[in-house]
Formats: sequence, C-alpha cells, structure tokens
Amino acid sequence: MSDATNDLPEATGHRLEELEHGLFTSDLSVNEFLLIKEVGFHPVGFVMGSSIYHTGFQTRKWGQSQELTKLTEAMYNARELAMTRMEEEAAELGADGVVGVRLDVNYYEWGKDAAEFIAVGTAVKAEDGVSRLNKLGRPFTSDLSGQDFWTLLQTGYLPQGLVMGTCVYHIAHRGLGQTLSTTGQNVELPNFTQALYEARELAMTRMQDEATRLEASGIVGVRLEEKSHQWGSHTIEFLSLGTAVRQTSSEVTLAKPTTIISLDN
Amino acid sequence: MGNPSGDLPEAVERRFAAGAFSSGLSVPDFAACLDMGFEPIGLVQGFCAMQWGWYTMGGAFRRGFSPYGGAPGDYLENYQCPHGMRSAEHRAWGQNYEQSWIEGAWREGFTSAYSRMLEEAIALGAHGVVGVLDTVGEISDLGVIEFHIRGTAIRVTGAPPSPVTPWTTYLAGQRLTKIFEAGYVPVSIIASVASVRVWASCITEYLLEGLGMSMWAANSGPAEVEQMVSARTAAREIVRAHARQQLDGDALHGVDVLVSEREFERGDMEIQCLLRGNRLRRFKDFDPLPVPQPTVRLS
Repeated sequence: MSDATNDLPEATGHRLEELEHGLFTSDLSVNEFLLIKEVGFHPVGFVMGSSIYHTGFQTRKWGQSQELTKLTEAMYNARELAMTRMEEEAAELGADGVVGVRLDVNYYEWGKDAAEFIAVGTAVKAEDGVSRLNKLGRPFTSDLSGQDFWTLLQTGYLPQGLVMGTCVYHIAHRGLGQTLSTTGQNVELPNFTQALYEARELAMTRMQDEATRLEASGIVGVRLEEKSHQWGSHTIEFLSLGTAVRQTSSEVTLAKPTTIISLDN
Repeated sequence: MGNPSGDLPEAVERRFAAGAFSSGLSVPDFAACLDMGFEPIGLVQGFCAMQWGWYTMGGAFRRGFSPYGGAPGDYLENYQCPHGMRSAEHRAWGQNYEQSWIEGAWREGFTSAYSRMLEEAIALGAHGVVGVLDTVGEISDLGVIEFHIRGTAIRVTGAPPSPVTPWTTYLAGQRLTKIFEAGYVPVSIIASVASVRVWASCITEYLLEGLGMSMWAANSGPAEVEQMVSARTAAREIVRAHARQQLDGDALHGVDVLVSEREFERGDMEIQCLLRGNRLRRFKDFDPLPVPQPTVRLS
C-alpha cells in the first residue's frame, strides 16, 4: 500500500494490516452483504474518519438576516476532513468505494464551541479488478444501503461521492414596530421567505458544485437538514446531502417487479 | 431553460445551469422513474414564511361576554348552559366556530409556496414534479410559520418541453407506476386545512376536565362529549368540501387526513384537520393488474 498522506493513527495501521490479510469487518446486514456480493463487490473493511473542530463564534447583526460565512466554512471543513480521512482509510485498503456512509456531529461537555465530526462506512472493492475510483482518483463514497447500491447499479449508474453543501444562516429578529404593525394578522413576511429560500439554495448550489467537480451526471436522494446545533434559535445550519452518480451504461437491467400479496397477518 | 419570472434567487439559476441534475428521490424511486421513461432534471422547491397566530375573532375581549356571530356560511354551533346560572366559574354558553381566516391564511401560504415550486419547475422545462413533500413548521420561536414544498422535476425522455403547467404528485416510484398502469395521469397535489375553534360549554368543560360542576356530577357516568365530537366531525366535513371544490370533477386518490388538537388554555381549543391527496385524471381504460403472487414469511 502507498504511504502517501499517511496521517492515520498507529492503531489504525494494525487494524488495517489485519484487514489486508483477508479478514474483513463491516456494519452491513447479511442481506446487504449478499446484495453487494451479487453486483460484484466485496466488503474489505469498516472505515472511519473523524475531526474535532473548533467551530468558533461569529457576531451577528440583531435585525439582519445573513449568512455566517465563518461558521459555514467551519462546518464544511470539519466534515470534509472527516470524510477525507475515511477515504484515506479506504484507499489504504485498496478499496474502490465506501457504502453506507453516515455523517454525525457530536458535542461534548469538555469542548465549548467544539464538535466532533465523524464519518463511518464500509469500504468495498470490485471483484473484477477494474478500478471504480472516481474522477479525482479517490474511492467513491455514498450513503446508500446495500439494497440501494444494488438497485442503482441495475439502472446503469455508479456512485461517485457523497456530496454536501452547507450554509449557516442567521435569521433576523423582528423589531417591535414591525411586529406591532402586523399583530392580529397572518400575513406573509417576504423578507423571511427570501432569506430562508436563499440559505437553502446556497447549500444546494454548493452541493451541486461538488457533484460537478466529480463530473457526475446527477445527485440522487438529496436531503435537506436543518439544525440549530448550539447557537440558539436564530442561527440555523442548512445542510444538503446526496449521492452523486455517473451514468456508465444506458441499459436499465432492473427486472419488472412482481406484485406480491403477503399472507402474513 | 428560459427565465419566466425574475424573482428566483440567483443561487437557483446557478444550480439549474450546472450539468448534473439533483433529485430528492430515493434510489428505488429513482430506478422506477427511469423505468417509466422519465428523467429527473432537478430538485425544485418553494417557500412562504408567514407571521402566525391563532387569534380568535375579536380577541380576548370577546371571551366570556357574548357568542361570536360567525362569518356568513361558516360552521357555527352554540351550546347554551342548561343550568340557568352564571358565575365567574360557570360558563353561560359554549361555542364551536370555523376559523375561516386561519384557513384562508393557510391556503395563501401553501399556494404561494406551491406556485413558487412550479416556477422553478417551469424554468427547468419540466413535464411534471414527482415525490412532492411538504412541511409546514414553526421557525424557532419567532411566531413565524414556514411553508416549504419540494419535489423532483422530471422530463419525459425525448419529448419537447411542456407547453402547459407541469403536473405534480405526492407519489413517486412504484406507487406512481401503478397509477399509470391503472390508466390515470396525475394532475396536481391537493392540500387543504379546516380549523374549528372550540370554546367549551360548562358541560363539555366538566366532561373534559372534571371541574366546575361538582353538584351535577353525582349521577353522570361515562358519556360522549357532544361538543368535541361535533367539532371534529365538522372539521372533517369542511376539509372534504374544500378538497371537492379544488377537484373540478377529477378523482382524488391516496388521501391522508390528519386531525390535530391544540389547547390554548383550559376550555379553549383548536381542532385542525389537514387533508392531502393526489388529483388524478383518467386517460385510458383500466388494465387489470397482474395476479399477485402470495408470499409467506418463514421467519
């Protein structure tokens, strides 16, 4: 294995060494394992990456809706670091990709304004020996389950990477005058509509940019998540996540599903 | 592409101009979509943030003084106290009334978000929008409600851009395939809300809370709370009537009705009924489904 960019902890070295001798660990269910084998992949190991990041603090204007670019950057970089480290582990194992990736954020009492970002998944390798690395020469990552991975391959698409975009946004407080002038009415607040719209679109566009970098044909399973983390209710992170896919064959080999009726109660 | 309206945020245009499509479809739904001859072209969405309060007609001043007359045509029911007594603790009357101004505001918010989503779909030259999701939620603690509607815009592979407004449906994947096989095409999603305010009468209040009427309580066993039943029935009927108006003779399928109750203070409640469904139109005769294969799980 290459020793390029090898900043993995020593404990990893030992575990990965064992994995190279053919033993594998994975968090796949039995069904997922069988489906992944069915499409010609073999699990090579459970991989992870983490990053403890000081996300810091940024001053906000009380009455103005705006993006908090420093926090956006921090949230993005931290996840990117965790993902890259996971990819490094996978590359170390000679894997072509990682399936079932989960991205989590944990907060601990010992670190104020700091958070641990973790990425975990199961590294897989193609059994035919043909490389399935993505355009950046790295193992693909995806949050697809074994079932989803199988189905996607039947449609002639191959995952390229878990892509994401984020935007931390501060929503303005409303002045007393503004609130009073509309008391007793349920009316649209166009400024709020526009601000929240823009925040989500920014997150999605950034996700799209990542897909473009991978020369993907599209992104499936896009999710939009909203979290206030520990910033108070007016500051929200909009996170957009999906799996970028590339069309490798125009042939859809998915069989017509059979209609079944379950006789179990 | 085209740009029918100039008020889409700049980020949207950049996102749509990118080479890769985005779709909110899960992998099984994505596969079924390709199988039907549709290609996803982009995730489309619309928003509307509204100031929100569950104001009563006339506000706090009305409470306890005289019954509300109601807007013409709205559901309204009065419950007189049969005991012929009045005191600060004992309510002289109770009332159920339709809050048509809440229903109207909800419709405005939902329709605005929906038409903004359509704007995005039209900008993409879509034929339809599948797998629509809607969320209506409060933004933190601001007294602001946000309507967010999103779905995946699709194009029929090889067909020219649609000259008409794209169709929309909550369905995606195999469930949508079945609709086409059954000879229907989606027209649009349908969503509506009914809101009934309940100002409990002395009897209702007693039955709900066991308060304020101890001297009549001795011989009362389990009983139906007539005023609450009536409010819930009315909310369901109102929401169904709203949906019928939007259908214009088409069929409604996959309907989901959610009833929720919110208590503002003791004996003052809102019953809200939300109906969602898919408006469909028949385009050909029904092809019978293949006979299903019976299965038994062995574990």
